[in-house]
Amino acid sequence: MLLFSVLASVVVGLLAGLLPAVGTEPEQGAKPTIGSTLDPLSSPHGSNCSHLTLKLEFSSEVVEHEYIVAFTGYFSAKARSLYISSALRSSRDRQLEWHIVPRENPASDFPSDFELVHIRQASPSSLLTLEDHPYIKRVTPQRKVFRTLKYVSSPEPAAPCNAKPVTPKWQSWQSSRPFRRTSLSLGSGFWHATGRHSSRRLLRAIPRHVAQILQADVLWQMGHTGSGVKVAVFDTGLSEKHPHFKNVKERTNWTNEKTLDDGLGHGTFVAGVIASMRECQGFAPDSELHIFRVFTNNQVSYTSWFLDAFNYAILKKIDVLNLSIGGPDFMDHPFVDKVWELTANKVIMVSAIGNDGPLYGTLNNPADQMDVIGVGGIDFEDNIARFSSRGMTTWELPGGYGRVKPDIVTYGSGVRGSGLKEGCRSLSGTSVASPVVAGAVTLLASTVLNRELVNPASMKQALIASARRLPGVNMFEQGHGKLDLIRAYQILNSYRPQASLSPSYIDLTECPYMWPYCSQPIYYGGMPTIVNVTILNGMGVTGRIIDKPIWQPYLPQNGDHIDVAISYSPVLWPWAGYLAVSISVAKKAASWEGVAQGHVMVTVASPAENDSDVGELTSTVKLPIKVKIVPTPPRSKRVLWDQYHNLRYPPGYFPRDNLRMKNDPLDWNGDHIHTNFRDMYQHLRSMGYFVEVLGAPITCFDASQYGTLLMVDSEEEYFPEEITKLRRDVDNGLSLIIFSDWYNTSVMRKVKFYDENTRQWWMPDTGGANVPALNDLISVWGMAFSDGLYEGDFSLADHDMYYASGCSIARFPEDGIVIAKNLKDQGLEVLKQETAVVEGVPILGLYQTPSEGGGRIALYGDSNCIDDSHRQKDCFWLLDALLQYTSYSMTPPSLSHSHSRVAPPTGSEHPLPQRLEGNHLYRYSKVLEAHLGDPKPRPLPACPHLSWAKPQPLNETAPSNLWKHQKLLSVDLDKVALPNVKSYRPQVRPLSPGESGAWDIPGGIMPGRYNQEVGQTIPVFAFLGAMVVLSFFVVQLTKAKSKPKRRKPRIKRPTYLQQQTTTGKNPTV
Amino acid sequence: MMVLRRLLRKRWVLGVVFGLSLIYFLTSTLKQVQEERTIRDRTLLQVRDPDHRIPWKVRFNLGNSSRQISQCRNSIQGKSLLTDELGYVCERKDLLVNGCCNVNAPSTRQHICKSCLANGCCSIYEYCVSCCLQPDKQLLLERFLNRAAEGFQNLFTAVEDHFELCLAKCRTSSQSVQHENTYRNPQAKYCYGESPPELLPV
Repeated sequence: MLLFSVLASVVVGLLAGLLPAVGTEPEQGAKPTIGSTLDPLSSPHGSNCSHLTLKLEFSSEVVEHEYIVAFTGYFSAKARSLYISSALRSSRDRQLEWHIVPRENPASDFPSDFELVHIRQASPSSLLTLEDHPYIKRVTPQRKVFRTLKYVSSPEPAAPCNAKPVTPKWQSWQSSRPFRRTSLSLGSGFWHATGRHSSRRLLRAIPRHVAQILQADVLWQMGHTGSGVKVAVFDTGLSEKHPHFKNVKERTNWTNEKTLDDGLGHGTFVAGVIASMRECQGFAPDSELHIFRVFTNNQVSYTSWFLDAFNYAILKKIDVLNLSIGGPDFMDHPFVDKVWELTANKVIMVSAIGNDGPLYGTLNNPADQMDVIGVGGIDFEDNIARFSSRGMTTWELPGGYGRVKPDIVTYGSGVRGSGLKEGCRSLSGTSVASPVVAGAVTLLASTVLNRELVNPASMKQALIASARRLPGVNMFEQGHGKLDLIRAYQILNSYRPQASLSPSYIDLTECPYMWPYCSQPIYYGGMPTIVNVTILNGMGVTGRIIDKPIWQPYLPQNGDHIDVAISYSPVLWPWAGYLAVSISVAKKAASWEGVAQGHVMVTVASPAENDSDVGELTSTVKLPIKVKIVPTPPRSKRVLWDQYHNLRYPPGYFPRDNLRMKNDPLDWNGDHIHTNFRDMYQHLRSMGYFVEVLGAPITCFDASQYGTLLMVDSEEEYFPEEITKLRRDVDNGLSLIIFSDWYNTSVMRKVKFYDENTRQWWMPDTGGANVPALNDLISVWGMAFSDGLYEGDFSLADHDMYYASGCSIARFPEDGIVIAKNLKDQGLEVLKQETAVVEGVPILGLYQTPSEGGGRIALYGDSNCIDDSHRQKDCFWLLDALLQYTSYSMTPPSLSHSHSRVAPPTGSEHPLPQRLEGNHLYRYSKVLEAHLGDPKPRPLPACPHLSWAKPQPLNETAPSNLWKHQKLLSVDLDKVALPNVKSYRPQVRPLSPGESGAWDIPGGIMPGRYNQEVGQTIPVFAFLGAMVVLSFFVVQLTKAKSKPKRRKPRIKRPTYLQQQTTTGKNPTV
Repeated sequence: MMVLRRLLRKRWVLGVVFGLSLIYFLTSTLKQVQEERTIRDRTLLQVRDPDHRIPWKVRFNLGNSSRQISQCRNSIQGKSLLTDELGYVCERKDLLVNGCCNVNAPSTRQHICKSCLANGCCSIYEYCVSCCLQPDKQLLLERFLNRAAEGFQNLFTAVEDHFELCLAKCRTSSQSVQHENTYRNPQAKYCYGESPPELLPV
């Protein structure tokens, strides 16, 4: 398979093509950092993101005539009344009207130290007399306190959502292959938590020293400061004489800029979090820092630079390597292979998971690799940071299921680190969280006496096993939880080489941690539920699974009601492998409801390296399984999601479904119900539908089990067998809902771009969807989509709708229901920058097939309204209505009697869209293969077949709660003693004279200060240059004025000469 | 209008106009030059400069690769195979405690060029290293070092002996890729020789 890189120019091309006015400054306007946002601006919800800030205000006012009388002690109500009356009696003001305001609450039965008194016309003197009483402490006016709690859209226009909180420099942090990896930093510390837990609390996100919050000082006090550990920082470099670093061993440059210094601050910050020794302290100040400059100041980087730099890191025997970079291209084989090679050479790789949250399916490479520690970000309130990428890995789609990532989370929001030249600043982003873990790992590695035991797997095992789980967050957001440095230290220091699993158990009933598994019970006849477990093998770089994993159902817990199939990596290399567990319900439980349990036993073996007596080290791990089974739901409630026909980037250029989103031109989130169609899935579940995923051709499912086949935004072609099978299925009662998208060859040519790396033009291989292929599929019913491209707002059945780059229905059977709307012709806008409204564009069609018991078909021309990425207005209500129609044959009156209903188009006037000539879809397609002339379909592949593991039943009772803290064998936390220290000022921070206040140097804290500096240097230079030139001319001018006489003749000479020559010529004539 | 015309005739106004245009000209030219250099520098990695020598300091152990040593370094990373510093390739299970291959194991071979092509590129890393450790490859390696691209300076000046050189040389590098994210030849990507892997057509 060919992999292609995509270039900055893409976006430039897109910008220039679509909205010429915007594309003035490509480097800044273009945001080709697919999957690697540096600032929230480009977060997938950028356009419609309403950033809400919780505003809590207090106001109080004095309640007239009411006073609080406070006593010196606690007295009964009677005594209090007595004291007040006696005190007021001594007042000279005789006509004082007063009474005690009764407080009716349970506390009133008990003695109190205050009383509320209502006094009419109280004079200061009477209050004073009250206070004179020996038992009365003071009298204060009663105040009424108002607390207002409101959400406000961010006050500053430049708030995180839609603005550029930092200079554009940061935004376009990109490689020249921008859809690849980029540095993962957000701008400055503007990300205040928006997590659900914080939404009702005041935020106190005060940037603090992350090393101290994580209790690194405990380890410092024990004398561990990272000494002897080689840490590599792959970033933008570091200046030579930065005051924060004492042990920079080497700086190397791998870019084409002839400097080793950091011009941006990213690399300095990252290095500071790991190893700064003063001000904003890092974790391991004594570690050996190796600075690799792989990003230029223009944020350019290439795979080839990384390859050479990585080779050098291997040669230098680096122990820990921080990569605060990432990109979506996990199919960049040279890079991915090289990362494997590094871990195989015992380099512990720590990488940022990405800044593309909160959208699912946004994990970045290399953090999504099994051998790399992928780090997500949280804020200081323990909420997952909004920007932190999440969702399963998407390498395994469509046939399999993604792995759990990130591995752990740690502080990544408003963390303080070293500033470019001095001082501190705070930054947010997963590229901040990554060095927090890298620093912690470095510190941890230095605590271990037997360094042989520290390897990429054992370190990851220790971090995972010690992590603290955050409540209410699922594993595809938090991984194993929040980094706990001290517990990791304890675990690592009693570590014995072994294998472990991530996740360590499968409890499909546990919500929300095991979302999405816990969101839908399993039943007989459903597609098997796949859990993709990662095996970490701390025993050696290679390993294998001996014999076969054993499935042991617990008979008392109905374990025999499920079937389990297991597939796994033939070789666990480097340090890790997968163990995919497919779970299905046994036939005998078809109408049974309950919970079934069992476990899988896996034995991993590695060649012994240091012990000649034992040939092999082995380790056996148990994977408990718990599932909830329900009776098979009726056909009408079952919806099948077609995953097989979705194609994505990488590897090919599959454009976004919404052409307005020029910042993010690629379709790269996996298009799965648990990634960017997550909201739709949640909605369907809440409506009672059971949604399953088809990861195989249409020929591979039993259509009689399902009410509706849901095909959304399909880019793939169809096997001829699939087309005939689907036709038969629909005749037999299967219904079909298709959400299509745009396909217009002229627009596709327009959104092509020049790729600097491949030095060729890049043409999309399909539009938003593959309409010609879809038309082949539905032509049998006399239906077709057009190549029109429409956009606009409209309302349908009292719902506001937005049509974001969709196509229209070109043909529809006569007896169908078709809804048409007035929309803008976006094709015209893209191609000619003209605006035109097209009246009566057919966008929605409902059709009942004529055969008896035949299914229904619903078509809609745009998928953006059910897709989480870049969605502006959702149309789940429409999906509901369509499902009501397809599953229950209930035609929604709001649609059938809509005034927008038009006669179905016959489509004879326009030719149907044809496939773009010369497209390379066959390179990425599972259906097509290259042929002389046109690509042809391959032979239909065999349907996937699971071989069920032979159960070895156990008469054992399982624990009801499977999750305890994941235990690594032989680890007894109590054994590893910790010194009893509280707060400790570490010795690793030699205070230089006069430095004491350095922490609060204003410049160091002010977010964005540095960025301004960088942004301003160029204009400053230009201005200075202009001044120099100007002064030069001024000097010239003054010189000229002072010597007017000498200049005159010189200037006049030419005329004089000319005259002479003319006169001289005369005689000859 | 007259004022404007007179103003335009003023020398300093013209000077300012000229100066600004000059600045614009210079900045845009410089920018372009820089961009061009960026592109050229990238290809520098492929182009060898015959005059440029990197100060390598590799010590070749001349011909005595059958010498007896008590501890071996080896290639560490292999999935199933390893190469030790004497050029033996063995399976992981045949690795001795001292890091050397068990020369008596049936599958252990020394200086084996299995899977390697004539251009010095192999499909298996361990065989590439083993082949590269052949004593007669020294000339080839020296020639490579003398002509190595600037981009490799960091790496190959840090290499100290024949074994480290072979470990480093056989790894995939900037020379192994085309279009940055694809191998020039995914089948034979580990090269001890001078030339990059042969470019496979798309």
